[in-house]
Amino acid sequence: MASRTKTVSIKKRRRVRSIAYFDYGLLAIVMLLFAFGLVMLYSTSAYMATLEYEDSLHYLKRQLLASALGFAGIVGLNITGYRWLKRFSGLFYFGAFILCVLVIFIGTAQGSSSRWIYFGPLSFQPSEFAKLAVIIYLAALVADSAKSLRDWHNVVRAFFHIVPLLIPVAYNNLSTAVIIAGIAFGMLFVASPDYRAFIVIMAIGAIGIVFFISGVGYRSDRIDVWLHPEKYEKGFQTLQGLYAIGSGGLFGKGLGESMQKLGYVPEAQNDMIFSIVCEELGIFGAICVILMYLLLLWRFMIIAYNARDMFGSYLVIGIMIHISLQVILNIAVVTNTLPNTGVTLPFISYGGTSVMFLLFEMGVAMAVSRGIRLE
Amino acid sequence: MQRNLWFVYMVVCVLFVILIARLAYIEYSSGEKYERIILAQQQYDSQIIPYQRGDITDIHGTVLATSVDVYNVILDCKVLNANADKIDTTLAHLSECFPEIDTGKVRTLLADDPKKQYTVLAKKVSYEEMSEFQKLYDDDKTAKEVAGIWFEKEYQREYPYDSLAASMLGFTTSGNAGMSGLELYYSQELNGTNGRSYGYVNTDNNVESAVIEPENGNTVVTTIDVNIQTIVEREILAWNKQYESEDSPGSHNTAVLVMDPQSGAILAMANYPTFNLNDPWNLKNVLTKEERKQMSEDEKMDALNERWQNFCITSTYEPGSTFKPFTVACGLETGKLSGNEAYYCDGYEHIADYDVKCVNRNGHGMLDIRGALGQSCNDALMQMSYVIGADTFADYQRLFGFGQRTGIDLPGEARTDTLVYNRDQLTHTINLATNSFGQNFNTTMIQLASGFASIVNGGTLYLPHVVDHISDDAGNVVRNFDAVVQKKTISQETSEQMKDYLRSVVASGTGAIAGVDGYDIGGKTGTAEKQPRSAGNYLVSFIGYVPQKNPQVLIYCIIDVPNTDDQAHSNYAQSIVHNVLQQILPYMGIEPTEAVETAAAEQ
Repeated sequence: MASRTKTVSIKKRRRVRSIAYFDYGLLAIVMLLFAFGLVMLYSTSAYMATLEYEDSLHYLKRQLLASALGFAGIVGLNITGYRWLKRFSGLFYFGAFILCVLVIFIGTAQGSSSRWIYFGPLSFQPSEFAKLAVIIYLAALVADSAKSLRDWHNVVRAFFHIVPLLIPVAYNNLSTAVIIAGIAFGMLFVASPDYRAFIVIMAIGAIGIVFFISGVGYRSDRIDVWLHPEKYEKGFQTLQGLYAIGSGGLFGKGLGESMQKLGYVPEAQNDMIFSIVCEELGIFGAICVILMYLLLLWRFMIIAYNARDMFGSYLVIGIMIHISLQVILNIAVVTNTLPNTGVTLPFISYGGTSVMFLLFEMGVAMAVSRGIRLE
Repeated sequence: MQRNLWFVYMVVCVLFVILIARLAYIEYSSGEKYERIILAQQQYDSQIIPYQRGDITDIHGTVLATSVDVYNVILDCKVLNANADKIDTTLAHLSECFPEIDTGKVRTLLADDPKKQYTVLAKKVSYEEMSEFQKLYDDDKTAKEVAGIWFEKEYQREYPYDSLAASMLGFTTSGNAGMSGLELYYSQELNGTNGRSYGYVNTDNNVESAVIEPENGNTVVTTIDVNIQTIVEREILAWNKQYESEDSPGSHNTAVLVMDPQSGAILAMANYPTFNLNDPWNLKNVLTKEERKQMSEDEKMDALNERWQNFCITSTYEPGSTFKPFTVACGLETGKLSGNEAYYCDGYEHIADYDVKCVNRNGHGMLDIRGALGQSCNDALMQMSYVIGADTFADYQRLFGFGQRTGIDLPGEARTDTLVYNRDQLTHTINLATNSFGQNFNTTMIQLASGFASIVNGGTLYLPHVVDHISDDAGNVVRNFDAVVQKKTISQETSEQMKDYLRSVVASGTGAIAGVDGYDIGGKTGTAEKQPRSAGNYLVSFIGYVPQKNPQVLIYCIIDVPNTDDQAHSNYAQSIVHNVLQQILPYMGIEPTEAVETAAAEQ
């Protein structure tokens, strides 16, 4: 592919440079993960969807609808390019902040926290938008002030730019706040040669987490449930997820053969979907999925290296850190390596807003890849 | 920047490897355990559908014992709590349909155990009560007002005639286990197989439900005729009422057996005292309060057991003179007696230091065989027994079935093998002599009746039985119990001659009271002195048959210790037989044979 592009680029050098490269590898991996995600989502949710909605396709249909919007975003971003995002980075950030504050007051609750805003039949989770907004905002920030970040004081200062957004997000959804903080931390880490800044940030972060855990009752429960899931009623989901993983064996029970999805793992199509992947496809299938993510991250790294400008490069770095954090946190929760928090598995878990913004992010990465100059 | 990006990527790779290791560890350390847990926690949601125990009916299909469906009211807290707006209306409907349910308690149940899905609120409500509530679910208007209540079907044994044929039918305890009588003997036939409804996970991992229908038990059709049984029991009760006094019932025991001498089928089998099958554990009617207080549990149990006994089968006694026909038949059949003999009765026989007395202390004088039976003369019978001899007597006693179980299809038939003398013991003249008129050995009613049937039916000893056939749930006959011939006891000629003598007993002898105008009834009375002889207690009895030619019905009645000062009269038993026959003969369609003759004689 590269050689073909090369010969073409020699002939029409000026035009080709801007449009000839496109990371088909990235597209292939995204499509593969996305398709695999739909298959697993259907397998996992069909039984309960039939019971609750008398429609085995209930969850699949909604996921496809959100995905359609996501793919429209991919096409749009590839046409418009990514550079305009920089101009609106402040607006995105401000918009995300407003929505995250708004959801506290007008949001619809599922469980103890209200996380959704409804527009008629459509629901929208502002915290998913906040992740993308933070990536764009920080990428713009780093691109504009790369040199000043050599001073670690400025790195810490840059990190505090996102704190106003973190507060309303953390109020509702600690795990998303942790991911946003992680994204910011990672992006600034890559940008700064001075590690002292991160010792300071980590110290502040540690204090913040301790404060949060002791301050909010239900979160400290989670620690107890994490350590002894069998002793608590709330450990049921974790425990059933572990049963699913353990019973899968090396190659699993076969696609569609999970027994745990029949109502034992609550809402198996959401955060716990990886346990059903393990049950149906075994350790082998789980490793394949993890390798797919590694390949995806590898493509991001290549694009980030070769991006035409700092803004594009840091956009992709942000996306890469976002996806790695979600995958790691999700699998860690499912295997009870970390306390239970609601983190979805990118492309596979059910969640309209989540999959839509993930696809937007892929669109951004593809747009960045199109700007790569090959010499 | 590049170095840092590489570093981040490497950290991510290391974390991924750690997570893979964690997955592998979970699988390696507890994979098998978790697999078992998963299989164990599958809910197959199975529920037993109870079978219906079969009916017991009389020969015409009248139901004597049946199982009716009753329902347990079940509360599902989870469902009702999920429909919180329906709680008030549901409870209102509940208390309306089932006043015995305390709605306050239901509310505490709902609050204390909100997820419990099975609580029995009321047991054994009738179908009518159940359907009244069930209708609420079906009605569009009220369907919105009820939730979380469902019904569990169960069967309860019921006996429509309460105490009718109680000891013969028997009753069941919980779990359809027969306790006594037919319920015990045919328990397996009556019981079916439980069905089951269950859910299972099929190969496509879909939960499916399946129902295995229960197999209901078979129906046992007895040879009993409810009308005959009712008449018999009414007459027994009437007699006992007549003779009862303040401190004592009319008799210790009164029992009547009616059978078809041509097949051994039992038409009625009754005894007094009896009990209520729908309330068999109740001692109130049996014993006074003081008596019950003084009794231990074991004693109470003994009292109940005694009450549940089927006298005709389980009790042994000395038959007395009703045995005399057997002695005579034996003599005639073996040719030891010709029928032309004459005996002189002087009132007693002196045997080995004993004076064995005759009924008539002054002696009957000269008697032929007909007279000996007609007057029930012990002296003459003793003289006959000398002629017959111990060996022949012993052989024929067994041939008629004495000393052996008849094999009737009822539980608890008494063993009599040690209660009769063998050949050696009979060589003592006193034993042979007393045996000849039915003393000093024991028998059961069913034994004597089936033996007697063979004397009057031409010499065929049938297996006595109370079940005619067994049919399945749909009414198809599964098993037929035809008349089973066991032995040939005597010849047709001997039988005819015996009937001739026995007819005389009723026509002109001691059995006159049992006779019914117009019918040629034959029979034999009995007045047995009970052990110890000094107590002066008697067991009086009468056994008879009708008609003379080809007898259709045989009736045997005994009264054990009648409650009178002068017990030694078979009249008591005869009067019951007389009353019974008077009613059942027209009912059975047996034509009077001597209508004209009797009418003429009366004129």
